[in-house]
Amino acid sequence: MINEANKPHSFWQRWWPYVVVILGALLVLGVAHDDGLYQTPILKIQSVKTISSDKQTDQFNNEDRQVEQELHGVITNGPNKGKNLKIENTYLKSGATTLGYHTGQKVFLTVHHHQGHLSATISNLKRDTALAFTVWLTISLLLILMRFSGLMALCSVVVNGVLFWLAVSWNTHTQGGIVLLIFGGLAIVFAALTLLIVIGFNRQMLMTLLATIGGTALSIIVALIVFALTHERGVYYESMQYVTQLPRPLFLAETILGSLGAVMDESTDIIASLMALKTEKPDISAKQIFKSGRQIGGEIMGPLVNVLFFIFVAETLPLALLFLKNANSWGYTFNMTMSLGVVQSLISGIGIVLTIPLACGITSLMIGGHKSWGRLRH
Amino acid sequence: MGTITALGLILLICMVAVGGTQGLQAWISLIFNFSALFFAMVLMAFHLPPVLVTLVTGVIVLAMTIFLGGNDSSSTMVAFYASVAVLILLVILIIPVEHWSQIQGFGQEDSEDLEGMSTILGISYLNVAISTAILSTLGAIAEAAIAIAAGLAEILEQHPKITLKNLQGAGFKVGSQIIGTTFNTLFFGFFGGFLALFIWFAGVHYSPGEILNDKILVGEVLMVLFSMMAVIATIPLTTWAMVASERQARKRFLK
Repeated sequence: MINEANKPHSFWQRWWPYVVVILGALLVLGVAHDDGLYQTPILKIQSVKTISSDKQTDQFNNEDRQVEQELHGVITNGPNKGKNLKIENTYLKSGATTLGYHTGQKVFLTVHHHQGHLSATISNLKRDTALAFTVWLTISLLLILMRFSGLMALCSVVVNGVLFWLAVSWNTHTQGGIVLLIFGGLAIVFAALTLLIVIGFNRQMLMTLLATIGGTALSIIVALIVFALTHERGVYYESMQYVTQLPRPLFLAETILGSLGAVMDESTDIIASLMALKTEKPDISAKQIFKSGRQIGGEIMGPLVNVLFFIFVAETLPLALLFLKNANSWGYTFNMTMSLGVVQSLISGIGIVLTIPLACGITSLMIGGHKSWGRLRH
Repeated sequence: MGTITALGLILLICMVAVGGTQGLQAWISLIFNFSALFFAMVLMAFHLPPVLVTLVTGVIVLAMTIFLGGNDSSSTMVAFYASVAVLILLVILIIPVEHWSQIQGFGQEDSEDLEGMSTILGISYLNVAISTAILSTLGAIAEAAIAIAAGLAEILEQHPKITLKNLQGAGFKVGSQIIGTTFNTLFFGFFGGFLALFIWFAGVHYSPGEILNDKILVGEVLMVLFSMMAVIATIPLTTWAMVASERQARKRFLK
């Protein structure tokens, strides 16, 4: 696509993605043999024997098979390295909470010493290699196909990931008391940093940042007004998962962060297209800019709302199925598993739609035909 | 009035006010997608094979989202074909990775939700996990395919005589413009939704080793990565589909 052959250092410029891919592959190989890094003893399963397999039924007439298996393996790290061990494991075929194991897998152990006799139970499966492999595959595809822009996209995700973790730690230090303040404030930092990486520091970036923050804030304000007017009927905070602090501010923080990316995506698209339009037709009026922006926004809002909808609601599927199989009604299942995801999608959707007039308004004010704005330009 | 109804109506009003007919279409596609998802779940509860149900639902959802989202009929057809190709590639990737990582079902962090529940289910939760991963990427696939196809259709309109090679280059250029922001949409969409889990990890002082092998976290990160790969794959596939359809159109024109 881009002819780089004539430039100096062309070898490095052309082949760097492949070098990263090869180094990454070595790293994944390293993770597959990182047992020594863990304090927890790890067992490599060498053979599996099925002892019994019985039919099970529950009070809702669900049928499943309960399997008992005997695992033989060798410990691969720690003081007991090299010792052989036999472990019994019982699991249900459906595998919602229990797991069947097979030869070649590695598992973490809780070891018990009993009068010089070694016995153990399995605490978890070792999943880091599968994770590392998929991360490697994603990065490889990204760098080979998208090269420099892929690298930038990766950078912004890594920077945001680090910031995200710092914010989570800060929240823990403050006992979750100011969760909304931390993540609301961090949403602004996230947006500013991401846009700096994606666009660079200029007027376009500032306009996009303003539209992003404004759109997200508007959606939360609308949500709070609706919550107050409807007394939050149909919002079941008790169905929130993994909650260790006050659920309501946590839910709002989740919603702000969840919609931030999409709102940013959209305002970037709209404002970038409008800036390009202005370059193409320098004498375009503010009104025309607003109108074209609205058209661009109208085209992208539907797909964007759906992106978030599938992210928020699809992951409730396993729990919702569990509710249905426990003879709960469709309505109760929806309320207890999917409703919060739907509320989140709707609030994000409102944010995504309201960002359109905001982004168009900001752009037409800043680069529209008004002479008085001229001196604000570079 | 319940909160969900009120928010849904406000969204409808906003969408129609901003986008007119297109806004109405966007709202209808959202409602349709919810119904499709719910219907798929009910079918799975009736013991239909989860992955098969998901594939059929996936193709229907992609069609609805793309045809109700786009304007230009030739570019939406291309976007649809490309998105189905991406969906198939993704399924081929997701099935072995989910078998390898075994992240199906619930982790120890879920025990509170499971209290008093029967886990004798008779549905393979490995297949449910595969279905969940596929479903969560559908929106991202559709959005990326529409963006690339619409961008290329516009270039074709302005430069009808562009060479096919340059058209392909233009596709990758449009892709490089959307990839950064799309990645952040996915990152925040997923991690925002799982804020509570991360707060849990920090509060209970999980070690890095425990986090990197945790069933729920690994499952969640895998879903983000699948979506990202789906978007990456959509860029060349939609571009090639567009180039192929343009090549055919030009051949027909010459005859």
